[in-house]
Amino acid sequence: MNEVTPTANVRLPFRAGDFATLAEGLDYAAKGETGVNFFSSRGSLETRLPYRELRSKALDLASRLASTSLEHGDRIGIIAETSPDFLAVFFACQYAGFVPVPLPLSINFGGKDAYVERLRGMLAAAGARAAIAGPDLVGILREAVIGTDVDLAATADELMARPASAAPLTPLGADDVCYIQYSSGSTSFPRGVLVTQAALAANARAIAVDGLALGSGDRCTSWLPLYHDMGLVGCCLTPVMTQISVDYLSTTAFARRPLVWLELISRFGGTISFGPTFGFELCARRAANGSARELDLSSWRVAGIGGEMIRPQALAAFADTFAASGFDARAFVPSYGMAEATLAVTFNPLGRGVRVDRVARGDTFERRHLALPAGETLPPAASRSFVVCGAPMPGYGIEIRNEAGRALPERHVGRICIKGPSLMQGYFQNAPATRAVLKGDGWLDSGDMGYMIGGELVVTGRTKDLIIVGGRNIWPQDIEWAVEKLDAVRAGDVAAFSVGDDQDRERLVVVVECRLQKPAEQATLRQLVAAVVNRTAGVECEVVLAAPRSLTFTTSGKLSRAAARDHFQRGILRDLETGTAAPALLETPLLAEAS
Amino acid sequence: MVENIEAEIMALMQRYNPEGKPIGRTTEIGADLNIDSVAAMDLIMEIEDKFDIDIPMNQVGELRTIGDLIDLAAGVLQKT
Repeated sequence: MNEVTPTANVRLPFRAGDFATLAEGLDYAAKGETGVNFFSSRGSLETRLPYRELRSKALDLASRLASTSLEHGDRIGIIAETSPDFLAVFFACQYAGFVPVPLPLSINFGGKDAYVERLRGMLAAAGARAAIAGPDLVGILREAVIGTDVDLAATADELMARPASAAPLTPLGADDVCYIQYSSGSTSFPRGVLVTQAALAANARAIAVDGLALGSGDRCTSWLPLYHDMGLVGCCLTPVMTQISVDYLSTTAFARRPLVWLELISRFGGTISFGPTFGFELCARRAANGSARELDLSSWRVAGIGGEMIRPQALAAFADTFAASGFDARAFVPSYGMAEATLAVTFNPLGRGVRVDRVARGDTFERRHLALPAGETLPPAASRSFVVCGAPMPGYGIEIRNEAGRALPERHVGRICIKGPSLMQGYFQNAPATRAVLKGDGWLDSGDMGYMIGGELVVTGRTKDLIIVGGRNIWPQDIEWAVEKLDAVRAGDVAAFSVGDDQDRERLVVVVECRLQKPAEQATLRQLVAAVVNRTAGVECEVVLAAPRSLTFTTSGKLSRAAARDHFQRGILRDLETGTAAPALLETPLLAEAS
Repeated sequence: MVENIEAEIMALMQRYNPEGKPIGRTTEIGADLNIDSVAAMDLIMEIEDKFDIDIPMNQVGELRTIGDLIDLAAGVLQKT
């Protein structure tokens, strides 16, 4: 195998994403030598695909797609494997004037049926007319398209065997849609975020210029899934718009051998790489198990963090573990964004590292929603640390609003609302869901809670998951993280939510996936959980020990507390011991996300 | 060859079976052994390392039993 694509182009001048469409961006990148590289789970180079070759492959596929009965703007579902074919088909859609819809992958033992259902729901919601997958998954895809409008389900190779259209291509233009992303919403009510070319171009340019100061010499390394905004926009489309080479490791490969991520950065001098906190955590844990290798991470100037609540201790552990490998903790760049804003809204100033705001808990925070600085003398248990996520990029605005929609001053906790040039047009063909978040005044309600300090955003959690017991706000993450620290419990095993009782009082329920078989061990765990919750939040809770894999996650890997609550109230999620359904409670709010 | 794989995978599975339940080809990996996604990754990685093969992750969703796993690993090994 040849060497990887070079980090910088020889003669082609660097352009920081000043293109009107994705197709224009790839046209320009194809004039240089940079491109993308795909690695095996052991870190060996499998495919080297310069942007020049990606473009010609995409154009070839585009002419095959154009010979079908599809019409301009029709949707094409693509299972977003980290593969050359996914990129080629995604860009073929851009050139042929079709809207790509990246679809998730599934990796659970015996999870095939649920996966087929999920794909079918998304294909139906998107009104897709065609669907493409790699050779391994096309069989599943063919099952999933049954009963949908899809009449072409194929691999990229099968597409290439079709005749090419002789007519000139009509690419997606500056006023067209760029892609639809299904990463929020439940299986029954998928919500497709509709991102226009203008939104993508604006966000890619802002990321390149204002967020990360990208330039010739930068190199991106990514294991993030391409059906999620951080992986797709941040580590795939923005690099195309800025002619930056990318080294890809598939998400499943990363999950198996996380340290290969760092090896790739080390071997090829990666400068930019993003991940959620747990990605950094996984690396630190594996390295601590004695599998650390000789690494040089000194080239890594932007270690971006996003995608879930940022946990400062886990990042500190990563920085400690890899300091000897040249990792500089100042490279950490906490950021905030979401698919509904294309991707990024805020970035920490580069080179600052993680900044934590420590606030006092208690009535001021939980009842009056004020995030007041915790004095030095305050014991740790009486304070709560949040990571500062930086200021909105130029052209973007953030407003913290109360429930009545009024803007709040700094250090007041409220709903995070966002304005900017890259907001989604809406959820595809879902006006009620769109109206619920796009307020008509140009602001998007993010569904997250937070406050501002010195013009910078601090995220404290999500609005709809907020637990309110006795008038006190309790953040479910706090409880979950605390319970996860117990020996018998793992990250992702816990969901905390509240349910209303017959007098409209909320009570706290903590579901813990339990692998312990002996009744005595289960009883001990039950007591430990209750004790930890009490220590953490100072409230009583009902502990539900559930069978493993009882909890559900969104395609972007976020725990769905709304689903857990719904399953609990409908008696689907039961305690191992009692095996009895929870009593039917007052007006069960079916998945809040369905609104 | 295939018999070897079967024996080796059965031996390996014992570590994912702390309760010492009787296991065989028809044992369901997820339901009977309570293997979560993290442990599943560890298991796949161990099998890959042991036989020096790559198991396509896309096919894991169709694996239900230990027998499925043995057959998949044997199939991959034959192709390499």
